[in-house]
Amino acid sequence: MTLATNVDFERVLLPHPGRSEPLNLKEYRAEGGYAGWQKALTSMTADQVIEEVKASGLRGRGGAGFPTGTKWSFIPKAPGAKYVAVNADESEPGTFKDRELMEVEPHRVLEGIALCCYAIGAETAFIYIRGEYVCAADRLEAAIAEAEAAGVLGQGCHGTSVNVTIIVFRGAGAYICGEETALLESLEGKRPMPRSRPPFPAVEGLYRRPTVINNVETLANVPSIIARGSDWYNTIGIPPRNTGPKIFCLSGRVNRPGNYELPLGAATIRQLIDDYGQGVIGGRAVKGVLTAGVSAPILTADKLDTKLDYDSVQAAGSMLGSASLIVLDEGTCMVRAAALMEEFFRHESCGKCTPCREGTSWLFEILTRIETGRGMESDLDLLLSLSGEVAGKVLCALGDFATSPVVATVKQYREEYEQHIKEGRCPFDPW
Amino acid sequence: MTLSDETRTAIERLVARFPERRSALLPALKLAQREAGYLPPETIAETANLVGVPHAAALEVAMFYTMLHTRPGPATRVVVCAQLPCALMGAEALIRELRGALESESIEVERTSECFGACHRAPMARVGDMYYENLDAQGRQVLIAELRAA
Repeated sequence: MTLATNVDFERVLLPHPGRSEPLNLKEYRAEGGYAGWQKALTSMTADQVIEEVKASGLRGRGGAGFPTGTKWSFIPKAPGAKYVAVNADESEPGTFKDRELMEVEPHRVLEGIALCCYAIGAETAFIYIRGEYVCAADRLEAAIAEAEAAGVLGQGCHGTSVNVTIIVFRGAGAYICGEETALLESLEGKRPMPRSRPPFPAVEGLYRRPTVINNVETLANVPSIIARGSDWYNTIGIPPRNTGPKIFCLSGRVNRPGNYELPLGAATIRQLIDDYGQGVIGGRAVKGVLTAGVSAPILTADKLDTKLDYDSVQAAGSMLGSASLIVLDEGTCMVRAAALMEEFFRHESCGKCTPCREGTSWLFEILTRIETGRGMESDLDLLLSLSGEVAGKVLCALGDFATSPVVATVKQYREEYEQHIKEGRCPFDPW
Repeated sequence: MTLSDETRTAIERLVARFPERRSALLPALKLAQREAGYLPPETIAETANLVGVPHAAALEVAMFYTMLHTRPGPATRVVVCAQLPCALMGAEALIRELRGALESESIEVERTSECFGACHRAPMARVGDMYYENLDAQGRQVLIAELRAA
């Protein structure tokens, strides 16, 4: 097995690849766990924690890549309740990294949450976890109980006057809850429909109080940053804009799908597929790769030598996003793939904004008629013009995401669409 | 009253846990659903009363989420992800096979475009709170046998 040995790198987030059982408090501590938390509580001010995270260059791992320390610094210093909301609603197709982090490294996630609370002056954090992740939610709750019993979390953490209460809040099946303001609405017991901004959550978030919303993987980076320092963190990846480790979710037509932790920019898409994923099933050629689940444009096979970091993937014409790579091989019908992706957005559109609610349905209908041999020559222009009526004309990013599969495949695999329309059938074998 | 004393007490405990009562609504509805397997109108109303929100507010939340059901359904739902990563690994064939082998009045095989975060172990199915992953020929037989026995 040559698995994951190509890059000489000490894993930070998932140090035990292949493990499925959670590390308990004792095991986590034996590996240096909660050292960052103790260090912050005993020798750092809240501002020093924020400055250290800023200096690390850590960017949000949920998809947008916003600098984490900067986000924390937006929280007003005035007294009064503040909250941390952890986005554990991982629902992007092709994404399963937060699941493994919560299932195997629950204490690492909790320590990151505690440090975020300390940095912004919050005493309560909510982990908004998707309802289907029952195992992960149970393990987080067990870990919270363990940490509270040991005096690490809860009232008077590590014998100080600092209180951190972490509550696991289970969702009930809705992709839109991963959108940060919809997440807050859901937490408040309302229909999860995105809010218009401003005000931004840093000013008016949960219960109209200043709130930081961070992804699970983002927070899982923080304990090591505080324990070992931002200088050490900057030795991983490509400073200043692409620092740190990243978990790459690899799925689709590869021999060995899974989560692979690597420094940002350390591998190309091709290396991830060939060296870690052990190549495409049946030795077939790659037709395209999605890098941010179904929410960003697909990259064609000539982009396989793109390095896996925020800036390189963007320069290649897509987004790193949550680093969820779905591999499509030469036997994949791109029209069918686009229809499947659009079916997802049609299902998940919350319905608040008309262009998204209606647009996703129409895009799906048109893609389906092309795929089933009933397409018309004018459909390709119709798909593009309709996409233009959705993207940028809605309250949240879902509408923009929903046009990516359509626009990118029509532009980059146009001949496949034309073949469907000309022949009045799908030219590929069903899959 | 449709809710058991245990569920009422559990909902009251939930309400006390949050800075604002209404935050307990979604978890309260999930608890209430356990009683009958779905949320009839009177259960939604009773849950709304316990949390302290208008009935309509509870209904619109109940109707939004895929894991909440406002109508009675089959005893067992087998939910199969047919989103791209699973579809690439044979999800449609899995759905056909499960439907052929299992579907009856008490078991429904539901195809969904929702992703459940098991793309590296595709194809997969969810039954209740359980994930059944890597459903190759052998895995399917195990799942089918388990569901038939249940």
